[in-house]
Amino acid sequence: MSSEAPNPTGDRALAPEAGAWRGTPRPWLADLILLAIAMLVPIVDVASGGLGLIAPAKSIFIFAIVALGLNVVTGFTGLLHLGIAAFMAIGVYAFAILTNESYPFRLSFWPALFLTLPIGAIAGFVLGSPTLGLRGDYLAIVTLGFGEIVQDVLRNVETVTQGTQGINPVAKPFVPWFVAAEDGTRTFAWTRISVAGDLAWYILLLLILIGVVVFVRNLERSRIGRAWMSVREDELASKAMGIPPVRTKMSAFATGAALAAFAGGLWASTLDSTGEPANYDFQVSILALCIVIVGGMGSVTGVLVGAVVMVGANDIVLDRLTQFIQQQKLVSDANVLGSPNNWKYMLFGLALVFMMRFKPDGLVSRKGSGSRTGGRA
Amino acid sequence: MRRTVRTLAVTSLAILASALAYSLDFGSTAANAEPQETKVIRIVSSLPRTGSANAQTTTMVNGIKMAIEEVGAKIDGYAIDYQDWDDASPQRGNWDPQVEAQNAGKAIADPLIVGYIGTFNSGAAKISMPKLNEAGLVMVSPANTASELTKPGTGDADEPMKYRPSGKINYFRVVPTDDLQGAMGASWAKELGATKVYVLHDKEVYGKGIAEVFKTSAGKLGIEVVGFEGIDPKASNYRSLVTKIKSKGADFVYFGGTTQNNAGQIAKDLRNGGVKAGFMVPDGCFEQAFIEAAGAPNLNGRTYITFGGLPASELKGKGAEFVKKYKEKYGIEPEAYAVYGYEAARVLLDAIDRAEKKDRESIRQAVAATKNFEGALGTWSFDENGDTTNRIMSGQTVEDGKFKFVKVLSGS
Amino acid sequence: MEMTAAEVFFQQVVNGLSNGMIIALIALGYTMVYGIVELINWAHGDLFMLGAFFALTLVGIFGVTEASGMGATGTIVVLLFSSALFCGTFNYAVDWVAYRPLRKAPKLTLLVTAIGISFIFVNIGLFWGGLPMEVFGGGNSAAAPKDFPPLVPAQALFGNEEKVHVSVRDGLVFGVTVPLMIALWWLVRHTKLGTAMRAVAQNPTAASLMGINVDRVIGATFFIGGALGGFASVVYSLYNNTISFQMGFRAGMDAFTAAVLGGIGSLPGAVLGGLLIGLTRSMSDQYLETQWTNTIVFAILILILVFRPSGLLGLRAKEKV
Repeated sequence: MSSEAPNPTGDRALAPEAGAWRGTPRPWLADLILLAIAMLVPIVDVASGGLGLIAPAKSIFIFAIVALGLNVVTGFTGLLHLGIAAFMAIGVYAFAILTNESYPFRLSFWPALFLTLPIGAIAGFVLGSPTLGLRGDYLAIVTLGFGEIVQDVLRNVETVTQGTQGINPVAKPFVPWFVAAEDGTRTFAWTRISVAGDLAWYILLLLILIGVVVFVRNLERSRIGRAWMSVREDELASKAMGIPPVRTKMSAFATGAALAAFAGGLWASTLDSTGEPANYDFQVSILALCIVIVGGMGSVTGVLVGAVVMVGANDIVLDRLTQFIQQQKLVSDANVLGSPNNWKYMLFGLALVFMMRFKPDGLVSRKGSGSRTGGRA
Repeated sequence: MRRTVRTLAVTSLAILASALAYSLDFGSTAANAEPQETKVIRIVSSLPRTGSANAQTTTMVNGIKMAIEEVGAKIDGYAIDYQDWDDASPQRGNWDPQVEAQNAGKAIADPLIVGYIGTFNSGAAKISMPKLNEAGLVMVSPANTASELTKPGTGDADEPMKYRPSGKINYFRVVPTDDLQGAMGASWAKELGATKVYVLHDKEVYGKGIAEVFKTSAGKLGIEVVGFEGIDPKASNYRSLVTKIKSKGADFVYFGGTTQNNAGQIAKDLRNGGVKAGFMVPDGCFEQAFIEAAGAPNLNGRTYITFGGLPASELKGKGAEFVKKYKEKYGIEPEAYAVYGYEAARVLLDAIDRAEKKDRESIRQAVAATKNFEGALGTWSFDENGDTTNRIMSGQTVEDGKFKFVKVLSGS
Repeated sequence: MEMTAAEVFFQQVVNGLSNGMIIALIALGYTMVYGIVELINWAHGDLFMLGAFFALTLVGIFGVTEASGMGATGTIVVLLFSSALFCGTFNYAVDWVAYRPLRKAPKLTLLVTAIGISFIFVNIGLFWGGLPMEVFGGGNSAAAPKDFPPLVPAQALFGNEEKVHVSVRDGLVFGVTVPLMIALWWLVRHTKLGTAMRAVAQNPTAASLMGINVDRVIGATFFIGGALGGFASVVYSLYNNTISFQMGFRAGMDAFTAAVLGGIGSLPGAVLGGLLIGLTRSMSDQYLETQWTNTIVFAILILILVFRPSGLLGLRAKEKV
């Protein structure tokens, strides 16, 4: 990242705080437990003949990356961001335009995926530079408005984005995997992951997610990470210590945008399409925010737990329950109360309200930090 | 130093897990290689069940269920299992690309599934078509009308080939396409005396596509197109747009779009804004929900609806039989699309019956080979693009809050 | 019969002002609550939506579906006040249950709670649409937009229906919103409660030291703000004839933009902002393309926040640290 803010004195000034932002007592232990579960899931799933846990896990991993990006902005730096989906959309469309045959670039998966990072960062910079001086709740509204504008622009500039048609197909990665021949035998070779190759996607996305987690953890401990947190805790004091608040916020904003765009690139590739612009609406931003809040603002482990809980509830539990109820014919199709899918809003809403009321630090809280939820807006 | 060790540990663990999963995947797929032993084959439909398309899709699903019951849910000793999947989400109240993609993925992963009935929305088809094509799973749509899904030269240069990555045709539909419906709509508008038409659309694949065909055809017929624009389907009202339509002196308004995208509100605002012009909509609005959303007084005697087939009341032979049975079973008049759900399921079941092996590829070939099918919609075949050879269309109007058949439409 | 350019312009002004007045009425609810607890009451737009569902339920119970003389007029008055009472009470209750325990919490906590509440409201709206009543289409498709019977005719009040005209509905909008705004202004400026509200807005601690029951004043503000949303919901429903459980988001965004545009916390600002947003929308629909209208509204929002964060009529308030 090129967004490191030069900050000669910040380092030492923040040293006494060092213990405070460390997170849970043994953050790596929690991460390893999560990793172990993530590795057990496909084994259990495949061994038991297909529980269907692998396909929805793709969304969990990708949303975990979006939420990690949002966590940099909202969790580390304490800026409420309600338009992260816009940056995801920018990543999705950038990736599609860079790889689709009808555009001049025709890049393959990896170069296009890594290009989404600077593209996202630049988009974040463009939005952030005029607005980051605003007070907290106004900034939230600006990000929300930006989210809506991006959607409209993607929908209306049809010559570039193909409007609601979406762009497809897009590039998919080459990985070493089994290739089935006509006669049913399989060989192991470099091959393009097909849209149906859930297990290959699972492993690839898990490895990428591990990379992102390591990256974010290192950022958190770096000078810039500590600057973010000092701005969150007390903007005035950190300014007095020589940390430029707007530039520090800028770097957080750009980092978050870059990660969201990166996740967008992955999303497009798993979907093999951009979908349509309305896919990246306010609901998606709120889902990411819910992940961060429920998991624990500012805690990387918390975000991972939040992604599993929120996206898992959304894509696995409710979906299963709906299907079960439908198959068992427990209620008539017409009954709106009968489908758990119809309860999604209620559950999300209640989760937010109860978390804020009783556990504002989230399921995995940052230990011993000063303010309860960071932003003082 | 410690960090390096940790990173190494994590990476090696992950690689270990990958290796384990690899080997397991290899083993299990080999074990599952013969799904036929279970003697069950499965058909799924992927239609928007949540939201305002619910009424139309319920009637289609009823049609599908009736077709399956007719064969006793059994063909050649195989039990036919049917699952009704939803490709809409409550957040959108409409079809959702993510859900459609998931449905396609689920269908591919389930080896018992040999047929996929769907989609309802043409945009949704664009998501699932390439996926199902790659997996060689046959797809029969009861409702997609966007012509570029199958017909070369009607969309982008790479359409429809980009929906067929395997090169084979796996997508078939029992409804005629928009390039016919839009053109016939335009010639009907001409007959109705339209001279200046304002064309609106909902910006979706279906709505915009049909609106563009209408615009082009209207131009060819000498009707002046005074405006062409996409609406905001979430707007609270279209008063300002209606004023604009009036200011352009339009004597006819066409809306390419669906009930779900606020067709009803446009009808309301046109009448309330004092516009006397006729209002024409395509079959995306040919459902009772359109009349309910718009309010009957806003439609009576001033609204024209085109439909890529005949309404239930005009069906003959097998179709009339279907309508009669439907009414007996469900106690209500079927919506226009019910018969297409029924026809899609019947043509698929017929192909399963003809296929020698009950696997995906044989069934796909059998569907493609459908010729002179004695269906509820008449006798028809699938052409080389997977389209029906059936070309009968109809025009309706609204009277006393009910659709009323006016005429069979024909044209180029 | 073609309209001249000037006629078109004036018709769009009428359209814009009518839509703008409805937006302004909703915006007042935002601005009042913000002025006193500095909370962007996210759920306000969805509360407005629930008000419309409540009104439609009453319409179903009364069985009045046509614009017919006194019966309809009476129904409209009943709808306006009962929906206002419903929304006001509901808003008050939500404040009591959800926001009051968080008075001392960081503002972000409060805002996220409000977002959560708005989701709960949307879900209630979805289920409400599934009520097995005739007016809800028998409850067969809960999510579908609902037709609100045209209790107010759309005929011209002044002018020629074929050309420029002000319809009875436009008359209704102004006839309801203008008196409400005057009443609100009077309440805030010239009553004891209003004085207490202004005192709490300026400094809650000092206000409570002066013997003002801060919680009660805040509760009253939520009640009044909610009631305004309730009035707005009935006016909106009668004007547009369609309600849907998803309409709160768009209406809320427009109204919030209006409140920020005028200067959040300022009552005249909210009205001015609402009218400007309404006019912007109709002008953009006419002279640009409908598809860009939304973008323009949000772009204005961002530009206002960047260049004049206090809004057109707001005071330049320094952020309280």
